[in-house]
Amino acid sequence: MVNLPATPADLIPFLFAVITSHTFIQIILFPGFIHVTLVTAFLTWYERKIIARIQLRIGPLYAGGPGGILQPIADGVKLIFKEVMIPYKADKPLFLAIPLALVVMAALPFAVIPFGQNWVIANLDVGLVFVFAMISLFPLMILIFAWASNSKYPFLGGLRSLFQQVAYEIPMWISALSIVMLAGSLSLVDIVNAQARIWFIIPAFLSFIVFFISVMAELERLPFDLPTAEPELVAGWFTESSGAIFMLQFLALYMKMYLMSSLVTVLFLGGWWGPAFLPQPVWFIIKTLIVATFIIIPRAVFARIRVDMLIRIGWTRLLIVALVNVFLTVLLITSGLTAILGM
Amino acid sequence: MVSLTSYLIVSAALLGIGIYGLSVKRNAIRILFAIEIIVNAANLNFAAFTRYLDPPLVSGQVIVFYSIAAAAMEAAVGLALILIAFRLNSSIDVRKLNKLKG
Amino acid sequence: MEIAIPPDLVFVILAAVTLIAAVLALQAKELIYGAIALGISFIGIAGFFVFLDAPYLAMLQIAVYVGAVVVLILFTIMLVRREQSDELLDRPEGGQGAVGLWLAGLLAVAIAGVAALAGPNLPAAPPAGNLPVSSLGLVLAAEYPIPLVILALLISAALLGALVLAKVEK
Repeated sequence: MVNLPATPADLIPFLFAVITSHTFIQIILFPGFIHVTLVTAFLTWYERKIIARIQLRIGPLYAGGPGGILQPIADGVKLIFKEVMIPYKADKPLFLAIPLALVVMAALPFAVIPFGQNWVIANLDVGLVFVFAMISLFPLMILIFAWASNSKYPFLGGLRSLFQQVAYEIPMWISALSIVMLAGSLSLVDIVNAQARIWFIIPAFLSFIVFFISVMAELERLPFDLPTAEPELVAGWFTESSGAIFMLQFLALYMKMYLMSSLVTVLFLGGWWGPAFLPQPVWFIIKTLIVATFIIIPRAVFARIRVDMLIRIGWTRLLIVALVNVFLTVLLITSGLTAILGM
Repeated sequence: MVSLTSYLIVSAALLGIGIYGLSVKRNAIRILFAIEIIVNAANLNFAAFTRYLDPPLVSGQVIVFYSIAAAAMEAAVGLALILIAFRLNSSIDVRKLNKLKG
Repeated sequence: MEIAIPPDLVFVILAAVTLIAAVLALQAKELIYGAIALGISFIGIAGFFVFLDAPYLAMLQIAVYVGAVVVLILFTIMLVRREQSDELLDRPEGGQGAVGLWLAGLLAVAIAGVAALAGPNLPAAPPAGNLPVSSLGLVLAAEYPIPLVILALLISAALLGALVLAKVEK
């Protein structure tokens, strides 16, 4: 325990103790901010490369590094130096504050994601609910931003985003419920530890399907990208954002994609578990990138669905499958099959 | 350490703010704000009492759990009512909701 | 490493944030800002819950109140928005403001006074005891199963009721 500095003279040893502490290094380096930002930047390049390969193109190439891997840095530098356009009669404080809040909301849950047995910043008792609580703040932020833009297309996109994310949050929570029942804990570390023998994707496959579809909808990826549908809404709720504002939103969206992929890894794919020849965090990131690949590929393959289809799938199909799945999991646990599977 | 009394005082202040909103505002949405603030003051009291007065049990937390669920429903129904009032009167002034007045 | 932050300091900051945000929720000129202030006040209450060893309630508070109730409120505000009338509606008429202030102030002072008078008899520090999250689930399922079922029915009824109410007649 370190006490708060009482006098100005104590400030320097206090700051030194904070900066050299294990937790602080974890927050800054790994699994904290720098690692999350780097992987997020990598994901933007990775997505463009995959989509390009599927469409028989080459994708970003000239920014430097193998395969143009420095492209995200070039993009970032370009966007930072571009002018931030604020629409006429927009709500300026909200318009400028919300993108930052989005990044914070996307980055905070990484504090409870376990990248390895000891690679977790805070092992909360209620880690899973914490992640979900933070995710549930996204539609609020997007709606406020869309309203603050004072423009027609962002507002329509914001409303669509609200409908979509609220509708798909419910199947997501309910399908995660069966994982919580199997693991007997809300802590993400305990959930991964419970998968040492067998990954939860096997006993809870139905729940994995529901969760994955909900994740696609929460992330507004194709075929669920109605809030940002180009032919109808220009660019959806971020039509009016430019320069650094756009960069922050882009960062938040891809950070959320990384977050959701790692959540799928934690809940269904055994988290950090893997053969011992690679360290635990490496296994975790490999699995997460595989999940991210499966989130990205549909963008090049599927067409966008209609709004009524979206709402019908969410409320009448996914929700019912998720509820049935809860009963199946109860059966699985009470019948003693889990004991046979070695859980 | 923080004493139970401090929680009770904060909760009383929240209740006061809520009552002020309820008695003064005419905008239906503001009245809903005030109701939510009052419910939150009560929730805070339950959580504080259960933590200080019966620690191995969490009965107060159970009540807060129910209260949060009920508040979500209350907001959904209340806002639907406000929408109807707006559609009928094109105003959300609670004083204009006097259609039943003789 | 853990930093020994004095609990009193955290409590005072949380209380200030919660109360100021609650006042702003009612007094902010723009309704949207009021709703955002209400959300901040709810987050303050969630902070109190963390302090009171109820982390599950804190997360539920954020997910349900901020993630759902405030979103619903914002949505309604955007649907019923009127350019000029908002501010007019929220201005107290005549002596109404003073009466409301007196009423609320008296009530709050009375309750706080009772709490302060009872202060010496109330425990100053919480008894030790780390409550696991699962204890809440056990109490819910073992001691209050019927209220839980009734709550589920109530939620379904409220959902259907809200749908029926908000439906546009053709």
